[in-house]
Amino acid sequence: MTTRLWLFMTLVIAGLVGLVFPSRSYAIPAFSRQYGTSCSTCHLDFPKLNDFGKAFKDAGFKFPKDDESFLKAPPIMLGAPAQAELWPQVIYPGTIPGLPPIGLRFNTFFQTVSGNRNNFNAQLPAGTPGTFIPRTDFQPGYFSIFTAGNFGGGIAFWADDDISVAGANSNGGLGDGYLKFYNLGRVLKLPTDSLNLRVGQFELDLPFSPARSWNLSGWDIFDEASVGVLNGLSPQQNVNNGFAFTSPAVGAEFSGGHNYGGYHYSVAIVDQNTTGASASPANIAPANGVAFVSDSNFKDVYGRVSYRFNLERDPASRNEVQAAGASGPRDHTYLQFGTMYFYGRSVQRFSGALADGVTPTVITAREPFYRVGGDINFNYRNFNVFGVYLTGRDQNLLPFTPANGSLPTGFTASRAATFGGGFVEADYLARPWIMAIMRWDRVSSTADRVNALQFDPANLPPSSFFSPYSATRNRFTPGIQFLIHANIKASFEYQVRPQQIVYDPASGERLTGPFRTNTAVAGLEWVY
Amino acid sequence: MTHKVLGVLATSIFLSAAAYAGSIHGKVSGVAGESVVYVESVAGKTFPAPTQQPVMDQKGLMFMPHLMAVQQGTTVEFLNSDSVAHNVFWISVGGNKKLGHNMGTWPKGQKKSFKFDNPGAVPLLCNVHPEMTAYIVVSPTPYFAVTDKSGNYKIENVPDGSYTVTAWHEGAKNKSTPVKVAGDTAAEFTLSK
Repeated sequence: MTTRLWLFMTLVIAGLVGLVFPSRSYAIPAFSRQYGTSCSTCHLDFPKLNDFGKAFKDAGFKFPKDDESFLKAPPIMLGAPAQAELWPQVIYPGTIPGLPPIGLRFNTFFQTVSGNRNNFNAQLPAGTPGTFIPRTDFQPGYFSIFTAGNFGGGIAFWADDDISVAGANSNGGLGDGYLKFYNLGRVLKLPTDSLNLRVGQFELDLPFSPARSWNLSGWDIFDEASVGVLNGLSPQQNVNNGFAFTSPAVGAEFSGGHNYGGYHYSVAIVDQNTTGASASPANIAPANGVAFVSDSNFKDVYGRVSYRFNLERDPASRNEVQAAGASGPRDHTYLQFGTMYFYGRSVQRFSGALADGVTPTVITAREPFYRVGGDINFNYRNFNVFGVYLTGRDQNLLPFTPANGSLPTGFTASRAATFGGGFVEADYLARPWIMAIMRWDRVSSTADRVNALQFDPANLPPSSFFSPYSATRNRFTPGIQFLIHANIKASFEYQVRPQQIVYDPASGERLTGPFRTNTAVAGLEWVY
Repeated sequence: MTHKVLGVLATSIFLSAAAYAGSIHGKVSGVAGESVVYVESVAGKTFPAPTQQPVMDQKGLMFMPHLMAVQQGTTVEFLNSDSVAHNVFWISVGGNKKLGHNMGTWPKGQKKSFKFDNPGAVPLLCNVHPEMTAYIVVSPTPYFAVTDKSGNYKIENVPDGSYTVTAWHEGAKNKSTPVKVAGDTAAEFTLSK
């Protein structure tokens, strides 16, 4: 129970830290250098992509047509193209980018928090120093390096790393690192761009990317994990699933279609690690000490389907990468619908006994879970409104200890752990260098609210910085962003946080009234 | 007698031609790269618009050529040779923002034309690719030239007479100087930013 409590607190704190420490975002200056063009060729308010940027990404990080005529730094040939006719007697020829396609990024932040920020110390005995949250704070962000490009022959690559932070995944370190094989369908005589394969570590193909979000704080629903009710005075839920959509996936993904018009799909098969525990020491890992990190044989599956309707009357304009506006090319007016589904099986292992109730053994709870959701995205000229709704369900298997035994021998199904929520965001590009943002995030989780009651004085959490007042948490976040240059951005965000409340961990009595820890955050970011 | 008449006639023709045999040559210094030198408008004289239509291309995310000089009244054709959408616009002609214009966008292989009826420098831009830029310098007279990269120029067939000659360079201040053309005449310019 203690371990689960710690995991729960770690997860919610990580989620809240995501509110004050902004999500990663990437524009690729290396592409600017390769093509001798401004960031705004592909990006609106970076890293938000315009339609051309989406097409560039869909094409494998190259211009959708006649790429070679735009490259200012010609690629290095790893073999003359004519060598391809001699394969398999020779190595199949490829290319590497002429310039090392490396981009660097750094950001720095300033936040100011409301007067309620230290209310959580009310839970501590009088005279006990608690966590101190200052009124204002400067905070350096990550220093990140990223590289992406094309190796010719329909093979693209991407790797990004927060090199200023040790650790991995959401704690810093390697973000995405993958190789992507484009247009594999041509081998099978399938339609163009109908089948791609991506292998490595990557963010799942979400409708809106947390890893490459332009907002200072992330979308809450994508940070939501599923930890069941731990509170001793409520029916328990033996659910301990650390999976969140912000976690990078490791595996393989098939995809096809385009993100700038028409259909798009993806199907991914990825490792499962819902406990967060390290795998046992690898005995077949590469000599450099890299370990495999799954905690289960099971492979999770993710799928997404979407369709985007470009709404221009003129079919030529509608089917092009960008629409032909009266004053120049622009993003299409479009309406996009999508759906996504994730299926996994969380694993928990316990010390138990065989059916005799005495002989020790390890018992394993395998709890299937799913996440299912839909998304919508509408764009008209400089106005873009979009949103996601997502719901999650985890099967709940409670350990069963027979009357004549002292250890559990198995599990019984009980009430599933569920949550739901999403967000709606509106972005308005008032000028090419000014974007106004308004966002509403909503997450509903009864388990989160019940767990906040903390009826276990013997196991106080490290911080109570998450005591939702109700099962439904609403957050409003207005913001504005300015491009000082195409590669330098100043961002401001005011987070109207959900109402919270602090309870006495022993009696459950309220120690405070409902309050909000509203926060104003400013960020300065550059990419090079 | 016939020979004498013919001789006088030939001499008259020769002398008339000599009146249009002048030129202006020199160098534009103080700046690097190509410049444009042109004769300002001449009071009481108009010049027919040329029929030739030069082409300003957009290729490889660049305007080509980067610098073009045309006579007032010239129609320039704008071609898109790229397989990406482009746009051509300018915010002023000779600094006059009322003469700004946006030509919209058109697909690969197609042209759009514009007739430049006002003299001055026209800075071309693309609103999709902000790094793209070029200049069209519209001369009020047919007497103009684009220098070479070292700044050397020669304007041919300038009738003898007194003129104001102006040198233009991207990002530099224009410089005008009176020039009395009598045959092959020198005019030097030193520009600064």
